[in-house]
Amino acid sequence: MSYLQLLGLVAPETIVVITALVVLGLDLLILREQPLRHRFWMGAAFAAFGCVLAAAWLLFINSPTHPAGEVSGALPLLRGMFVDDGLVRLVKVALLGLTVFTIAISMESSFTGHVGEYLALILLATVGMMFLVSAEDILMIFISLELTSLSLYILTAFNKRNVKSAEAALKYFLFGGMSAAFTLFGLSLVYGLSGSTGLREIAAKLEQPALDPLLVAAIVMTVIGFGFKVAAVPFHLWAPDAYQGAPTPSAAFIASGSKVASFFVFAKVMMLGFAHAGGSGSWHAYAPGWLPVLAVVAVASMLLGNLAAIAQSNVKRLLAYSAIAHGGYALLGILANGPSGVTSLVYYVVTYGLTVLGAFGVVGLVEERAGEARISDFAGLGRREPLLAFCMMIFMLSLAGIPPLAGFFGKFYVFTAAVGGAKDLGLLWLVIFAIAMSAVSLYYYLQVLKQIYVVPVSAESGSLGAPISSRIVLAVIAFGVVALGCAPDFLVGRLLAAIKLAAL
Amino acid sequence: MQAALFYFFAALTLVCGALIILNRNPINSAMFLVLSIASMAGLFVLLHAFFLAAVQVLVYAGAVMVLFLFVIMLLDLKEEDRRKFNLFGIITGVISVAAIAYISFAAIRSGSASVSRTASDIEGGTLPLGKLLFTNYLLPFEILSVLLLVAMVGVILLSKKDLK
Repeated sequence: MSYLQLLGLVAPETIVVITALVVLGLDLLILREQPLRHRFWMGAAFAAFGCVLAAAWLLFINSPTHPAGEVSGALPLLRGMFVDDGLVRLVKVALLGLTVFTIAISMESSFTGHVGEYLALILLATVGMMFLVSAEDILMIFISLELTSLSLYILTAFNKRNVKSAEAALKYFLFGGMSAAFTLFGLSLVYGLSGSTGLREIAAKLEQPALDPLLVAAIVMTVIGFGFKVAAVPFHLWAPDAYQGAPTPSAAFIASGSKVASFFVFAKVMMLGFAHAGGSGSWHAYAPGWLPVLAVVAVASMLLGNLAAIAQSNVKRLLAYSAIAHGGYALLGILANGPSGVTSLVYYVVTYGLTVLGAFGVVGLVEERAGEARISDFAGLGRREPLLAFCMMIFMLSLAGIPPLAGFFGKFYVFTAAVGGAKDLGLLWLVIFAIAMSAVSLYYYLQVLKQIYVVPVSAESGSLGAPISSRIVLAVIAFGVVALGCAPDFLVGRLLAAIKLAAL
Repeated sequence: MQAALFYFFAALTLVCGALIILNRNPINSAMFLVLSIASMAGLFVLLHAFFLAAVQVLVYAGAVMVLFLFVIMLLDLKEEDRRKFNLFGIITGVISVAAIAYISFAAIRSGSASVSRTASDIEGGTLPLGKLLFTNYLLPFEILSVLLLVAMVGVILLSKKDLK
């Protein structure tokens, strides 16, 4: 395979990288003297244009028509390092969409003067995520994971006027460094056991009924590493501080885009790489493997995330704990261990990402005005800002899983996949627990809504004075959440069709 | 001979690694880090990875560690205070270390963890490495360059004083 072919294969990623460099240069050279708002608008417009271009390439050009196995077979140079099938393309388009929305909600913010760097880092993080989604090779997975994480650490520290931002970034960085060490150790054990880096080859090599003790160690360490990335209990300690301290658009990006990519690759590593070491997490048929490990992590995440969220008074922290809980639900999709599991997982994390992005957008506007994002700062928002309050209601109810919003169908698909995934309804206990926990979660989402609609407006707080563009963006996101909920088949149908071809 | 050297370097790496953490003077810790990196370079030589060994010494023991020492001296770090350990940390730490140690011993005893490598596989010279980097591993190599760009942008951004 020639270098030109390689460039054609990774064209969407290349487009995004080039966009990042151009945005960086444009801001440094031409827009230097312009007012901040102007610079943000120009940079954001260009960055969004690059993302749309990449997404268009993914959707329309050189659409892969043959299954993944054939593609990687046809390209001996890459050997699973870069998989390009319909499923991967769909996830990448979703990632690019989330990036565009992240850029859109940060357009009016004023936490930094370094616009070019900010946008470029968001784009480069997206590149990392795109490679992560494509990777079926542990070397590529590790490198793209690090590219994503490094960009996210810096994005967390971006607000240099706020000490909390630096503290959050340091915590995130130290925890992330530890988790990277664990991931690397686990993956190197896998390499030592199998002698290859491709996930499918690893699975073929590790095909034996008895679990090797080293494989156990490798699985545990890999789960620890990815557990940090998706903020699952007991590896969640960084999340509340990082979400609270980070500039709101950065927090939104960590909660949405990086979650989508991390969960997707987590599922791939477990289902493809450790395909024969699954064991069983069923109630009466326990067998050692990664399934029981993940089941424990999922239970802990749902329990602690939901219970700790009740006690929060800051909405960003509340969203962080709710993200931990949602991580627990999403793990059910991986536990389902099959095509239906992957479908439900992707639908779940994409809709969750979109919803939480919108919620952070509203929180950001309130925070800009009030200086902080306590729940009490939302008091009377329903009368002060009817449109934003309505959007927030949609996001909160979707997170709680109320039909007909996207969050409901996300949970529904994940739960049905988990029930059907194990033999004899073995995971039913987990699903019942998850449903009980999501009933608990309704309490704290409604607490926020109660502040917005029931608590009377205090005299001095008027409208937020939010710019019209932010309102439009949030309304569009809210519309997306409703639309994906009303017509889930739009996404699920495509996912199912793509997965059939992808042979996952 | 090879086995003896392996055990020597491995033990040296481990001992120095422990001393990095146990030392309370940051400069001493940094010097032990140099030593542990150098002994790791010895392990690379035993694996026929000559280029990696040289890079390990040149880049890590040389350049990176000099920067570390500069920063430590510029910040004028004092000796760390003796820390109080909490019971929870000790218990969970001991449990996890014991579990990992147990698994490692079990794995060594069962002796399954061996993927045999033929001699032609282990080529660590500059030429085969360069060939691999620009053929099989071109994509990760390019992504690493993007990663370094991110690191550079981030460092400049975070360390720069805002002129306001």
